Amino acid sequence: MTGDAAGVPLSAAGRWLADSWSPANFDTAEWVCRPHAWDYSLEGPLSQMRIWTEVEQATQKLLAYHGHINQEEQETTIWMDGRPRPPAYALHTWSGFATGEWDGNVLVVTTTHLKETYIRRSGLMVSDRTVVRTRWKRIGDYLQATVIIYDPVYLAVPYIRTTMMWVSDPGMRMDPYPCEEATETAVPRGKVPHFLPGKSPLPGLDPEARDRFATPVEARLGGPETMYPEYIAKMRAFRRPTRSVTGATEFGP
Amino acid sequence: MTRQPKDSPRRGVAAWRGVALLCVSLLGGTALVSTQSAQAGEGQAEWPPRVHAPAAGTVEVLPVQGNVYMLVGAGANITVQIGDDGVLVVDTGGASMSEAVLAAIRRLSTRPLRYIINTVEFEDHVGGNAAIADVGETIPFRAPDYAAGPQGALDVGKASVIAYLTVFHRLAGAAGAAPRIPETGWPDNTFSIPQKRLYFNGEPVVILHRPGNTDGTSIVLFRKSDVVSAGDLLDLTGYPRIDLEAGGGIERMVEALNGLIDVTVPAGNASGGTLVVPGHGRLADHAEVVYYRDMMAIVRDRVQDMIRRGLTLEQVKAARPTREYDARYGRETGPWTTERFVEAVYRSLSQS
Repeated sequence: MTGDAAGVPLSAAGRWLADSWSPANFDTAEWVCRPHAWDYSLEGPLSQMRIWTEVEQATQKLLAYHGHINQEEQETTIWMDGRPRPPAYALHTWSGFATGEWDGNVLVVTTTHLKETYIRRSGLMVSDRTVVRTRWKRIGDYLQATVIIYDPVYLAVPYIRTTMMWVSDPGMRMDPYPCEEATETAVPRGKVPHFLPGKSPLPGLDPEARDRFATPVEARLGGPETMYPEYIAKMRAFRRPTRSVTGATEFGP
Repeated sequence: MTRQPKDSPRRGVAAWRGVALLCVSLLGGTALVSTQSAQAGEGQAEWPPRVHAPAAGTVEVLPVQGNVYMLVGAGANITVQIGDDGVLVVDTGGASMSEAVLAAIRRLSTRPLRYIINTVEFEDHVGGNAAIADVGETIPFRAPDYAAGPQGALDVGKASVIAYLTVFHRLAGAAGAAPRIPETGWPDNTFSIPQKRLYFNGEPVVILHRPGNTDGTSIVLFRKSDVVSAGDLLDLTGYPRIDLEAGGGIERMVEALNGLIDVTVPAGNASGGTLVVPGHGRLADHAEVVYYRDMMAIVRDRVQDMIRRGLTLEQVKAARPTREYDARYGRETGPWTTERFVEAVYRSLSQS
């Protein structure tokens, strides 16, 4: 359900940001090519991923792991050579600056210098002050990523994402995924789509709108409490919405 | 692949590499990579990660791209373009930082300083004008000792200071009033049309008048290096200072940011490509400018709606139209607080 933030530990600022978000944002020419950033790609779309190494030829030491995700061609570099982070005034990117260290059989990656980006594609964002810690682990032919997002602006507490799995596939095909800025979109130049406070029509924010689980609107607003199983008991005390949502939304009713 | 004991860290290393190499069909060298991974070090990663920022009183240099560099730590960011023709700087920082700024410039080039361009008349952008212009040289178009004619002798012993005409008026002050900065720092090369163009160090340098913070705000486009110096139209450390008395306004800010977006072309995925030196804060690109524009437009629309509904300034402040942005951009103290920004937006829209 569009606007549903259940399970995401939004801060008050993150909640407000989501309340003003409009789906027409996707039709803004400037944002047509805004990608699923690397870390969102690990949770969001199921996309092919290629990983390769960079080795310093003279010493044969490992310098970095590089990664490429098909969706919107996001790339990351995980520096393994102990180099320092760029200064605070350096450019932030969708994939940020990442360094890796081995913790037993887990590759621990710490990423800074990130841009503000999606945490879910319906107005839930993380800020450019976010630090991401990713723990990569191979389990047989599967690769597991656990992503912990620390954002002092739009999250009240760290957000630990559901683990995603990739299977090793020597025959994997990687297609190009170019994007060209569209200029003839539905949103005129300079217009910024958004909803005024309290005016959002998104079904996730509508107390009467019912999803297939009849999730109470209190839960759909998100927040730290909604991350934990104990919240289910509390949720039972809330009134359950009854009006079924019809019509198209990005993620269905 | 060498077999590893079940609980060996190196087993995980090999496995990681195994997946990576299978994906790219590089099946040789399995053992080598695991050895190299072990060399890279094992253990707990540093937390929280350390990110360096300049110490107070120091100026640091960040290469941007092409011929352009960003100086950080002097107040407002300073853009420096270098080449055989000499040095061009955009803004000069605070007055107390001029020595450090000049030292930083000299680390980049020993060629003469020819031009200073001011994007706005704010103190932290023009404070160093006098001291920095004084070490420069204007390229003479007459013999250096020429003293005849209506203009008399030319002062070629300083850099030429370029700014929109109203910036000159404010820095020089009204007749009889004390000027804001010493006369050697006043703009001596003003323009009052939408753009002024130079060709310097092998690239077009286009100064675009984009009124926003004041009526004299400009941005500077380095066309070959593909860098824009945005001045305080883009302040990634806070809400933009809007000086209503000097002709600034929220509508002008939004339109100026739209104009900045027009010349900031992303390489792909809404990022990279043209790089933007903001008035304050880190180096930016298309995405940062669009996020900032979005914020300005949303705050404007909210305050406009509140004015339509008859809310007073105090009621607008209490409603916190900037609420979700305050943790990122807001300030409770200092010369430009969140409250002052909201008040400027309110008064700006009330006037229009």
